[in-house]
Amino acid sequence: MKVTVERTALLKSLGRVHRVVERRNTIPILANVLIRADKSKLSLKATDLDLEVIDSVDAEVSPGGSTTVPAHMFYEIVRKLPEGSQIVLEASGDRAVLAIRAGRSRFTLQTLPESDFPDLAAGDMTHKFTLAASDLKRLIDKTQFAISTEETRYYLNGIYLHTAGSGKATMLRAVATDGHRLAQVELPLPSGATGMPGIIVPRKTVGEVLRLIEDADAEVAIELSQGKIRFSIGDVVLTSKLIDGTFPDYARVIPLGNDKELVVDKKDFEASVDRVSTVSSERGRAVKLSISAGKLMLSVTNPDSGSATEELEIEYASDPIEIGFNSRYLLDIAAQIEGEVAVLRLADAGSPTLIQDKDAAGALYVLMPMRV
Amino acid sequence: MPVRQLSEATVNRIAAGEVVERPASVVKELVENALDAGATRIEVATDGGGRRFIRVIDDGDGMTCRDLELAVERHATSKLDDEDLLAIRTLGFRGEALPSIGAVGRLTITTRHKSEPHAWELSVEGGVKAPIKPAALDHGTRVELRDLFYATPARLKFLKTDRTEAEAVRDVVRRLAMSRPNVAFTLTGEDRAPVTWAAALPGAPGQLARLADILGGEFRANAVEIRAGREGMMIEGFAALPTFTRANTLGQYLFVNGRPVRDKVLLGALRGAYSDYLPRDRHPVVALFITQDPREVDVNVHPAKTEVRFRDAGLVRSLLVGSLKEALGREGRRAATTGGTATIAAFRPASSSRWDWRQSPAQPVIRGNVVGFAEAAQAAFQVGEPMADARANMVEPAPELLDRPLGAARAQIHETYIVAQTRDGLVVVDQHAAHERLVYERMKNAIDRSGVARQILLIPEIVELDEADVERLLTRADELARYGLILEAFGPGAVAVRETPSMLGEIDVRGMVSDLAQHMAEWDEALPLERRLLHVSATMACHGSVRAGRRLKPEEMNALLREMEATPNSGQCNHGRPTYVELKLADIERLFGRK
Repeated sequence: MKVTVERTALLKSLGRVHRVVERRNTIPILANVLIRADKSKLSLKATDLDLEVIDSVDAEVSPGGSTTVPAHMFYEIVRKLPEGSQIVLEASGDRAVLAIRAGRSRFTLQTLPESDFPDLAAGDMTHKFTLAASDLKRLIDKTQFAISTEETRYYLNGIYLHTAGSGKATMLRAVATDGHRLAQVELPLPSGATGMPGIIVPRKTVGEVLRLIEDADAEVAIELSQGKIRFSIGDVVLTSKLIDGTFPDYARVIPLGNDKELVVDKKDFEASVDRVSTVSSERGRAVKLSISAGKLMLSVTNPDSGSATEELEIEYASDPIEIGFNSRYLLDIAAQIEGEVAVLRLADAGSPTLIQDKDAAGALYVLMPMRV
Repeated sequence: MPVRQLSEATVNRIAAGEVVERPASVVKELVENALDAGATRIEVATDGGGRRFIRVIDDGDGMTCRDLELAVERHATSKLDDEDLLAIRTLGFRGEALPSIGAVGRLTITTRHKSEPHAWELSVEGGVKAPIKPAALDHGTRVELRDLFYATPARLKFLKTDRTEAEAVRDVVRRLAMSRPNVAFTLTGEDRAPVTWAAALPGAPGQLARLADILGGEFRANAVEIRAGREGMMIEGFAALPTFTRANTLGQYLFVNGRPVRDKVLLGALRGAYSDYLPRDRHPVVALFITQDPREVDVNVHPAKTEVRFRDAGLVRSLLVGSLKEALGREGRRAATTGGTATIAAFRPASSSRWDWRQSPAQPVIRGNVVGFAEAAQAAFQVGEPMADARANMVEPAPELLDRPLGAARAQIHETYIVAQTRDGLVVVDQHAAHERLVYERMKNAIDRSGVARQILLIPEIVELDEADVERLLTRADELARYGLILEAFGPGAVAVRETPSMLGEIDVRGMVSDLAQHMAEWDEALPLERRLLHVSATMACHGSVRAGRRLKPEEMNALLREMEATPNSGQCNHGRPTYVELKLADIERLFGRK
């Protein structure tokens, strides 16, 4: 195999794939990236057995071939080579090394045979549809923070993507929860997704996809089956296993009947919560909301350091109520509100509260209170 | 005062000061005599810590009337026929014990040789012999000693409590009993509940049986057999796995030609062999028997013969270290059974009183305004029951994996422990400890293969030492160079250090070299340097290995298990803790009362 490739292009591609590789591995081949050169294309592939990312760059190839090299080291080498240099990768059949040449630098990296490299073997995908990158980003952005990290409820360690009826229309809905809070976002169902199974996309996959579409504004092609999902973003293809589990019936915990409605300016609310929570301790991050007609009093009391209170003007006409929340959770949710006004719907101090954007429909958040 | 010849009695008392230090030394001399007489059954009884009364009965050859008469004379012995001090094949040889004992207590010996028509009895009190008279005894010898040290009251004052002395007697008998599994020992008397160690079969199984009798069954379960020989020297015995240790060196029983010794060369070699497995403050448990041509070892160093001198100490050392390392490497994957036993002990039947509602998914939802001094609590909604991560279950374990020693990975719990299933039990692996050991072994191999990289010093460090230390360091300069320390002579009282191991970074060269010299003076080995290098390797291994909290996929877990099986010493981490515990199906069944 002999390949000549432009450094900037190679670095960009490697940057996309090498992140998947874990730093410490019990299986040596998993630390490697698969390099395959064929017909003026150089493709790179990395995997952690649950997730694989493939990207390709234009290159001069003669002859073609493939091998695997340590991913992080290869990335570091390419990163440190001078900008604008042409990199030559050369592997001969008889020695298990890859030679890297650029300008006056020469490296050889030990390789492992390509045949050992695991393949996710995606199998047949049953559903195919496309989403605008911005829509996909919205689905992930607004739910990602609520994903659970608790291993005993592994079926909560991802975003639940499924179809759901909302009024007359069928929607594509993303839900994540960690048992304390829940986030739900929906979009009109794209064609091709009709009848798709409900799937749980793992946290790591979600994070990688978000990085890949960060500056993309094109369409993302999504293919999925019962066990796998594939995102194609330009040249990059990310394939991932799905979490094999049943997402709980989350609809039960969404309190649609809460009658105490509080309307507040989102920016003011966010800033106030942030200010008063400054005095809270590391362990207890509780902020108390004392709500009466037209007035919201936020207070934090920390027996070790002091206390803080702040008053906000709100729209509220129901009976006065006191309720506590984890300030970090409140801030997480407030950050997701896009409009200027947030609406909180409360029942009592021990029941879930519903938080929504006043203007934009399609997203809702549920938060359990704290005992204060 | 004019010079004069001391009286016989005084000479004996002086000698007694060396040989008879405390009751336990009397017991040692008498039991050794019994063993030398070919006894197969020995009974030892003591009262008052041995001060009031000591009795040793054996079924050995016994003595004739004439021998008995002579036995209590100084320097009279039956054990050195051609007066060849270089070829001592018996435990005793000095001919000092009986007269010394007779000089400080009331000694009575009753004995019958098979050529005599009846037994004879002889008494010695404070060095004064009574006439021999006929007595009744079927065969063998009975030695009784009353009122030890009555003739030397000063010595009496230095004795410890009866309890301590009795314990010392017990220890002496234990050591001798270990070396002779084919002899039955009984230890009785007012001082203790009687114990009997029945004669065991010859060979390793009998030896292990005797050791288990004395050191406890746990030793047997954790023992690794040692058997090695070179140039006429044999080492046999048993060493405990590195996960079975003690906080002191009292669990180290060493024997040279059947004689219990506490010898520096041997203890040092032992430390060296285990240094890679144990933390500094833990000590191995071993019972090792060295047999060598008596000409190669001088036992005539100390009257109590606990120290010996080897003609070729290097051979003894290398054979001991080599055989121990080989055996530990061979059995290295085995972790202490105490792990499994402790696990069993840690299991408690589920009981409703221990159940904590706060840990339960059924935790009550807060109703109303609950205000109190309690820590603020986050309420949760019900989104399903917790359950084990089932990902490892996705692939049905292959039957051939179940047959492997560490089995097939079935699940990972708490993101730290791998649970694997074997044919007859289950294995729990600490993923970080296990992987750390694997990385560490790899690094150690790399050091062995390619040596240690050295940093050349800009200004050589001159370390002043005394001449003997300099000499010792220089004779081992080659070995030190292998570990990356280059030093050369700098006048008679100093060495110049030119290069240091780069792995250690900036170090206190002076401190390390003088540490090394001191250690070499005492133990004749360069362990501190090696230990420091390994310590650095261990730290690097720790950073380079899979941490607790990292989720492993089934393939990764199985790969880890397979590599553990292939790597020596993977049964314990660098700190001597086990990397895995195994629960046998039988143990699990017992937990549930099925058996």
